[in-house]
Amino acid sequence: MRTKNFAYHLLALFVIAATLLAACGAPAATEVPAAATEAPAVATEAPAAATEAPVAADPMAALYEAAKGEGMLTTIALPHDWCNYGGMIEGFKAKYPGIEVNELDPGAGSGEEIEAIKANKDNPGPQAPDVIDVGLAFGPTSKDEGLIQPYKVSTWDDIPDSAKDADGYWYVDYYGVLSFEVNTAEVTNAPTEYADLLKPEYNGQVALSGDPLTSNAAALTVWAAGLSTGATGEEAAQAGLEYFKALNEAGNFVPIDGDSRTVGIGETPILIDWNYNSIANDIALAGNPDLETNIPTAGSIAGMYVQAISAYAPHPNAAKLWMEYVYSDEGQLAYAAGFCYPIRYNAMMAAGTVPEDISAQLPSTEGAFFPTIDEINAAKAIITAGWPTVVGVEVKQLP
Amino acid sequence: MKPNTNSKSVNLTVGGALRPPRIPIGRWLGVLPFFVFSGLFLIAPTLVLAYRSLEGPDGGLTIGNYLLLTSETVVSSYGMSIRISLTTAILGGLIGFLIAWVVSMGGLPPRFRLITTTFSGVASNFAGVPLASAYVFTLGRVGVITALFKLVGFDLYRTAGFSLYSFLGLTIVYLYFQIPLMVLTILPALDGLKHEWREAAENLGATPFQYWRDVAFPVLTPSILGTMILLFGNSFGAHATAYALTGGLFNLATLLIGQQISGDVLHNPGLGYAVAMGMVIIMALSIFIYSILQRRSERWLR
Amino acid sequence: MSASSSAKANQLSSRFIYVFVSLYFLIPLGATFYWSLRGAKDVLGFEAYRKLFADTNFLPAFSQSIVNAVATILLSLLIVVPTAYWVTLRLPKLRPVVEFITLLPFVIPAIVLVFGIIRLYSRPPLLLTSTYDSSRVLLICVYVALSFPYMFRAVDNGLRAIDVRTLTEAAQSLGANWGTILFKVIFPNLRVALLSGALLTFAIVIGELTIALYMAQHTLGPYMADLTRSKVYEPSAMAIVAFAITWAAMGIIDFVGRGATRSKTKVAID
Repeated sequence: MRTKNFAYHLLALFVIAATLLAACGAPAATEVPAAATEAPAVATEAPAAATEAPVAADPMAALYEAAKGEGMLTTIALPHDWCNYGGMIEGFKAKYPGIEVNELDPGAGSGEEIEAIKANKDNPGPQAPDVIDVGLAFGPTSKDEGLIQPYKVSTWDDIPDSAKDADGYWYVDYYGVLSFEVNTAEVTNAPTEYADLLKPEYNGQVALSGDPLTSNAAALTVWAAGLSTGATGEEAAQAGLEYFKALNEAGNFVPIDGDSRTVGIGETPILIDWNYNSIANDIALAGNPDLETNIPTAGSIAGMYVQAISAYAPHPNAAKLWMEYVYSDEGQLAYAAGFCYPIRYNAMMAAGTVPEDISAQLPSTEGAFFPTIDEINAAKAIITAGWPTVVGVEVKQLP
Repeated sequence: MKPNTNSKSVNLTVGGALRPPRIPIGRWLGVLPFFVFSGLFLIAPTLVLAYRSLEGPDGGLTIGNYLLLTSETVVSSYGMSIRISLTTAILGGLIGFLIAWVVSMGGLPPRFRLITTTFSGVASNFAGVPLASAYVFTLGRVGVITALFKLVGFDLYRTAGFSLYSFLGLTIVYLYFQIPLMVLTILPALDGLKHEWREAAENLGATPFQYWRDVAFPVLTPSILGTMILLFGNSFGAHATAYALTGGLFNLATLLIGQQISGDVLHNPGLGYAVAMGMVIIMALSIFIYSILQRRSERWLR
Repeated sequence: MSASSSAKANQLSSRFIYVFVSLYFLIPLGATFYWSLRGAKDVLGFEAYRKLFADTNFLPAFSQSIVNAVATILLSLLIVVPTAYWVTLRLPKLRPVVEFITLLPFVIPAIVLVFGIIRLYSRPPLLLTSTYDSSRVLLICVYVALSFPYMFRAVDNGLRAIDVRTLTEAAQSLGANWGTILFKVIFPNLRVALLSGALLTFAIVIGELTIALYMAQHTLGPYMADLTRSKVYEPSAMAIVAFAITWAAMGIIDFVGRGATRSKTKVAID
C-alpha cells in the first residue's frame, strides 16, 4: 500500500513536471497568423481563362512571395506513407521555406474532405483545407457544387486530356493498380489471380481494404474480381458481387477492415489493396514478416486520384504553389519514389527526366483497365446497391 | 440572497401537496448554465444537422432523404443498431452491476475497489481500432484463445462456426467498454445502500434474497435504469469499433452515416444527416419509455 | 446460516466472480502486449516501443491533452452538479428534457458535431476559430458537452444515494444559502460520484480524436493516430502505453479525490 502511494506521488510529480516543461517550451510553432489578409496580386498568374503556358521562373518567384505572405498551407488526407506524401511534403518545405504546412486529418476520406470544405466556407482559421486529394469521381461533383477553384499548373500540357478537367478545376496526380498483398510467412503458395482466391487452401485468409460502400479500393476490388471472369462494364460489377458471395460462402473471405496490420499479424494474410501500399508495407516491415505483391493479369484495374484547390481556400497562393510543386518533375518523382505512377510519367519518360532506378521499380500496368468516370459511377451504383443483399449479413446466417 | 424556503420544504416533505403555480426566476437559475451551454454546443449543432438533412444531392431543400429512411437497408440498420445496443446494455448492466456489488460490499479488500475504478475509467474509453485489434489478437483466427482451443483439438472457427466478425463477436467486444461504464456509474448508487437497512432486514428475519428483492433493488432500480439507458446510448453511437471489426458485412446506423458522409464511394451527405436525425428521434423515444419506467420505479420512494 | 459462514460464502463467490471477469478484461490486454513485443523479427523485445519513443513531439501533445482534460472536468462539474441538483429537487418535470439533452452526444456522430460547430463558430459575430488558442477554448467547450452523459448520470446516481431533500432542509434550517449548500454540503457528499464522472471525462478527453483533428488541434489523440498509421506492431505498443498513461493519471485523480476529502466528515442523516 505504501509503495503504491509512493508510486502515485512520483507519477504526480512526473505529470506536473511534464506540464510545466511543455508550458515553458510553448507550442509556438502552432500559432496561426490572424485572419489571412488578401495576398498581393500575382501579375503572371494563369487562372482558367488564360490559354498560354506562363514562363517558368518568374511566375514561380512571384507566387512564392505571395505564398510566403500567407505563411501557411493547410492540407488534408495526405498520409505520409501513401505514395510518399511524407517525402513530397518535406521536399516542398525544403524548397519553399517560410510556409508552414498544416496537416489536417491524414486519414480523411474523400467525403470528409468535401464536408470540410463546406463547413469551413467562411473560416479563415487553420481548420479550412486549401488543397484536397480525392477519388476520381469526386472531381466533377465538387466542381458542380462550386467547392473547388480552377488553376492550370505550368506543366498542364503534360497531363493527358482524359485525366483532367478541361477548365483546370481538377486533374489526376497519380495512379496505381490493385494487387494482392500476401504475408508469405502464413501463405506458402501466394495466389496470383482472382480465380486462385476461391481455392480451399486460402480458407479464412482473404480480405478487402475496407467496406465496398466506404472504401474506394474495396469497391474497385469487387469490380476487378468481376472483370477477371471475362465480363465487362456493368455486367462485371454484378459478376464481382457474385464472386464475393462465392468467396464468402466458401469461408475464404474475412469480413474485417483489412490493412497492413491485419496482414502483418496474419489475421488476413491476403489483402487486396493498391500496389503502392503493398510495396511500401513490405519495405516498412523489413522482413518481419516478408510480403509479396502480386498484380493479377486478369481483372487488373487502375485507380486514379485527383488534386484540386478549395474555392474557399484561406491561402490560395500557397495552394497554387503546392500544385506547381506536385506537378513539377521533383514532385512527380516523389510519387514515383512511393511506387505510384505520376500522371506525367509518359511525358517525363519521353523527356528523359525519370532516373533508371525509379522507372525500374515501378510495376507494369500492362493490360490494366483504366475506367472512365462514367464507367466507375455505373459500376459503383451496382456494387453499393447489391453488396448488403447479395453478400451481406442478410444472406449469411449469423449466431 | 437567502431564499424563503421554509414553506417550500414543508410542502416537499409532505410530498404531493399542491402548491399554487408560481415560478420564481431563482428556480431556473441553477439550470441556466446547463441550458445555455448545451444550447450553444449541442442543440445548435443538432439544428445544423437537421437543416443539412433536408439538403438533396443537388443542394436544394427536400424531404427526399427522410423518404429514403424507409428503405430496407436503413430500416434494417436501425434494427441491428437497436438490437446490439439493447443486448450490450442489458448484459453490460448485469455484469457491471455484479462487479460493482462485488467491490463495494462483496467482502473484498478495499484496494480491489481502487484498482477496479481506475481500470474501469481507462477501459471505458478503450474502443475503436485498438480494442478491435486487441480482440483480433484474442479471438481472431490467429488469436491467443483460438490457438489455446486448437491445442486441445477444438477449432473455434471451423468446428463451432464461431466468428469474431459476427453479432456475437461484436457483442463480446462492445462489453469491454460497457461493463466498466456500468461499474463506475452505478457505484455511487450502491454506496447509498445503508448497512442499517441490511441489519434491520436481517433482524426482521429476511433472507438475503428477500432483502435484495424488497429493499435493495427497489431503491436501486431508478439508478440502474438510468445507467442502462446510458449504456444503450453509448453502444448506439459507437462507430469506430464496428467499422474496424466488420468491414461491411454488418449493417449499423452509424456505419451507414459514415458511408454517406466520410467515405470514398457513396456521397449523399443529406441522407447521412437524415439517418443521424433518425437516431436522435430513436434516442428521444428511448428516453420517453425510460422516463415512464423510471417514474413508476420511483413511486414508492416518495 | 450463521453470519460468519454467510459472509465467507459471500467472499468466496465475490472472489470467483472477480477473477472470472478480470480474465475477460486482462486477456485481450495481454494479447496486445504480446504482439507489441514482436516488433523485431523472430525475437520478443521492445523494438516497437523504441520506435514510438524516438519521436520527440510526445510531451507537448500530452500536456495539451492533460490541461484540456482538467479544464473540461472542472467546467463540467460546475455545470452538471447544480443542474442535477436543481432537477432532482425543484424541477422534476424537466428531467426527461435534461436527460435527453445529456444523451445527445451519443447520437450525433463526432464528425457531424465538429462540422456543425465549425459552421456555427467560424464566422462573425461568433468567430472562434481564427486562432489556435481560441479554437482550443472552443474544443474544451465541446468536450464539456461530450462529458454530459457520463457526468450527469454519475452525479444523478450519487444524488439519489444521499437523501438530498433532507440534507438541504437541514442546511437551510441552519441558515445556509444556496452557495453554501452546494459547495459545503452537496459536493463533499458526492465525492464518489464526482470521481466517477471525472475519471470518465478524463478518459474521453485524453483519447479523443475526430474533433481535435478537424479543429486542427495538436493533442494526444491525433498524435497517437499519426504515429501508428499503417504500422503493424507500433499500434499495439501505443495501446499499452496509452493504457498505462491513462491509468497513472487516473490513479492521481483518485488519490487527489480521496485525499482532499479525508478531513471532511460526512453529514450522516439517520
